Amino acid sequence: MNAVSPAQPGCSPGRARSAGIDGQGSDAAGAAEIEQAAGQLRERIDRQFRRSLHIRTLDTGSCAACEQEIRLLAAPHYDLHRLGFFFTPAPRHADLLLVTGPIVRAMDVAVRKTYEAMPGPKIVVATGACALGGVLGPDAFVHGAVDAVLPVDVWIPGCPPSPLALLHGLLVAVGRLAGKAGELAFVTEGTPR
Amino acid sequence: MPAWFLRGLRRGVVTTRYPDRPDPSAADLPTPPRFRAGQLTAGVAGRLVEVCPSRALWREDDVLVFDAGACTGCGRCERAAPEAVTASGEFELAVTARDHLIKRIPLPRQPRP
Amino acid sequence: MTTTEPGPAAVLKEIPRVAGHAQVRDDGRLVTVRVPAAQLEAVAHLLAATADARLADVFAAEDGAGAEAGTAPGSVMLRLVWGLDANQRYLVVESVIENERYPSLSDIAPAAFAEECEIYEQFGIRPDTHKPLNRVMLPPQAGPDFPRLGHPPAQPPADVHAPHVVGGHAFEFPVGPVRQLGAESLYYGLVTSGEEVVDLYLFTWHKHRGVEWRLRGRDARDALFLVERMEGLSAVANGWAFASAAESALGIQPARPAVWARAIALELERLYNHAAALAALCQTTGLSVGQSAAEIALERFLRVNAAVFGHRYLFGAVDVGSPGRMPDLGRLRGDLPGAYGELCRAADALLRTNSFVDRLEATGILSAEQARRLGLVGPVARASGVTIDSRADHPAAPYGKSRATAVTRAEGDVLARLQVMLGEAAESVRLIGELARAADAGGSLADLVPGGNPRGAGLGWAESSRGESLAWVAFGDDGLITRARLRPAAVRNWRGFDDACRSQNVFTDIPIIEASFWLTVAGTAR
Repeated sequence: MNAVSPAQPGCSPGRARSAGIDGQGSDAAGAAEIEQAAGQLRERIDRQFRRSLHIRTLDTGSCAACEQEIRLLAAPHYDLHRLGFFFTPAPRHADLLLVTGPIVRAMDVAVRKTYEAMPGPKIVVATGACALGGVLGPDAFVHGAVDAVLPVDVWIPGCPPSPLALLHGLLVAVGRLAGKAGELAFVTEGTPR
Repeated sequence: MPAWFLRGLRRGVVTTRYPDRPDPSAADLPTPPRFRAGQLTAGVAGRLVEVCPSRALWREDDVLVFDAGACTGCGRCERAAPEAVTASGEFELAVTARDHLIKRIPLPRQPRP
Repeated sequence: MTTTEPGPAAVLKEIPRVAGHAQVRDDGRLVTVRVPAAQLEAVAHLLAATADARLADVFAAEDGAGAEAGTAPGSVMLRLVWGLDANQRYLVVESVIENERYPSLSDIAPAAFAEECEIYEQFGIRPDTHKPLNRVMLPPQAGPDFPRLGHPPAQPPADVHAPHVVGGHAFEFPVGPVRQLGAESLYYGLVTSGEEVVDLYLFTWHKHRGVEWRLRGRDARDALFLVERMEGLSAVANGWAFASAAESALGIQPARPAVWARAIALELERLYNHAAALAALCQTTGLSVGQSAAEIALERFLRVNAAVFGHRYLFGAVDVGSPGRMPDLGRLRGDLPGAYGELCRAADALLRTNSFVDRLEATGILSAEQARRLGLVGPVARASGVTIDSRADHPAAPYGKSRATAVTRAEGDVLARLQVMLGEAAESVRLIGELARAADAGGSLADLVPGGNPRGAGLGWAESSRGESLAWVAFGDDGLITRARLRPAAVRNWRGFDDACRSQNVFTDIPIIEASFWLTVAGTAR
């Protein structure tokens, strides 16, 4: 089974937005300069995405509930257009790939082609418990999680994630909101390690 | 055409103010659990791991590991041990690093025989 | 249909005679009969000739402990599920197939062809004809080691493909599997001569997750979790069908609160799906204002679901033996009328909008004969004049007391399907009112201990928004599943889609017809 190759060389998994900056300078000063340039480039990219973003949806084997919630993002109650987000059917125009499902292996070719058809810089958002490794596990039918196959930037839990959770996730993806679940303990009377 | 226009005006704006203001409909959404660490005995933890249908709870020695990413909010853990588990009410769960969703909850150590 | 055809009640007496001393078990709702393989063809002919007998499903299971891997297929139990709708019974005909061949069922009932293909892929047994069997469920990469319910077939199934040139004027146009905004992955090969649809075939195996394979070895509650998430938009219907099959197999009587809570959830599921179908019809006809109005109704229904059952898609509303969650009847009474009012206002305005109705009339016509021959169910069948509705034909509690009236039309076009859905929505609201009034309080989780006379295997059904959803499950002595069969309505109704798209339809009609069917790919790919 052909696995989709991870991001372009130089990108660490999960930061696919940086475009091929290789941090190995020949001297420390050179390396620091390159790092700074990378940071500035990332910021410029974030600024471009922040207020106007085109989204391509990709169903890799969901139960269809995630798709229904995604479709409702454009509905009057949520209206993602007011936040500068738009859906596009053309991967060439897309900035963000919104992936649902556990990546059924039969979709490998389609997933790879969709990802590679999107020009960099691009953001990958995995949404739903199936896409995050829950519900089904990796086996002969499915890869089990989107980050097994694509470099994911933002993970949105839920089964299905409600449109509010999706809006939160999209805003996190463009840096307008901070992801806060890292600070949440999900514990009372005791702290997690 | 005018009928549609008037109907729209009469209904008013239904669009949520989120993220500028919280949305009241969020109160009805299912959410991942919150654990009362003090109530999590080894026995309770074992029951929770067994009852979770989505691979979101597992044991590592004396730690209960909870993966909020794999959690579907089904509530079976809460029903299995209501004294130890409640709904967290959190739905803004998106993260930029997968391990931000993995929580390690220490269990009381087993007394040595 | 002639007047000399036997009705279902008569045929039940005929079968033992035709099948040679076959044992018939009848519990008033489900009839099971085991038939020797040699007599299977005669029984199938008899049933196919019976008025009001409908082949609802065909599936297989390894017989007994199953054969070891690497050997030729051991004996396989073939099961045919017939809906004897006028007799309010389902008939399961079981037959042990020993040498990889069984009489061709699709020659007798064309609706069985896709199931024969599926059985071939999963069990390696095939009908005794030379007709090639198509790939339907497993992807092309599925070699002999791919997980299956039985043994791999000796020859791989044929790939459906249309000739690239049809009379020198047609060409094939691949669409998908990745499609536009929020549409499920689905491949269809469109054969066209320019505008007209000459042929259309679907590949749905991109989303095959092997749900039936995964259910083996699970207990009923763990299995139900997956069954809900097989096809999320029919979670209640598929969950109910599975739960009632499990209850029947384990000898569990569902608690009374469970029974009416399930029905409320099922009708709520029907309501939001029909609203979503209306929104999809507006989207495909390019009416964004109508789409917004329908989406407002849809969102309000989903919020009612969250308020009443704690989940927008009603996951967790059904459980085996007990209520999954107790519905909040106060919120139901408070919030539902407003949501339904939105749907009514949108629908009324749209049905008076010529630019909308013109696109729907005479589009995607399916005749009653086509619907019957293909074994279609649900609003698609009812809009073509085939009056089947498992709530009315096979009333499981509480539909025995709170009767559901099937809504039918005769035209068979997209407009008729929409009108059936809108009529059903009104009926659902009425039913919910009745069920809420009959409410009991209380109920707790049932222990999954077999009680009474556990039969070990059971059939369950529910009428989803898309049509009749069937489930059959067999448990071992340890209470774990040995075989589960899930047949959501989508498995049946997708095969009507290409017929509906041919004949006088143009390209731009295809999304409209797809919206009027309102199926899911997940439900057929499983």
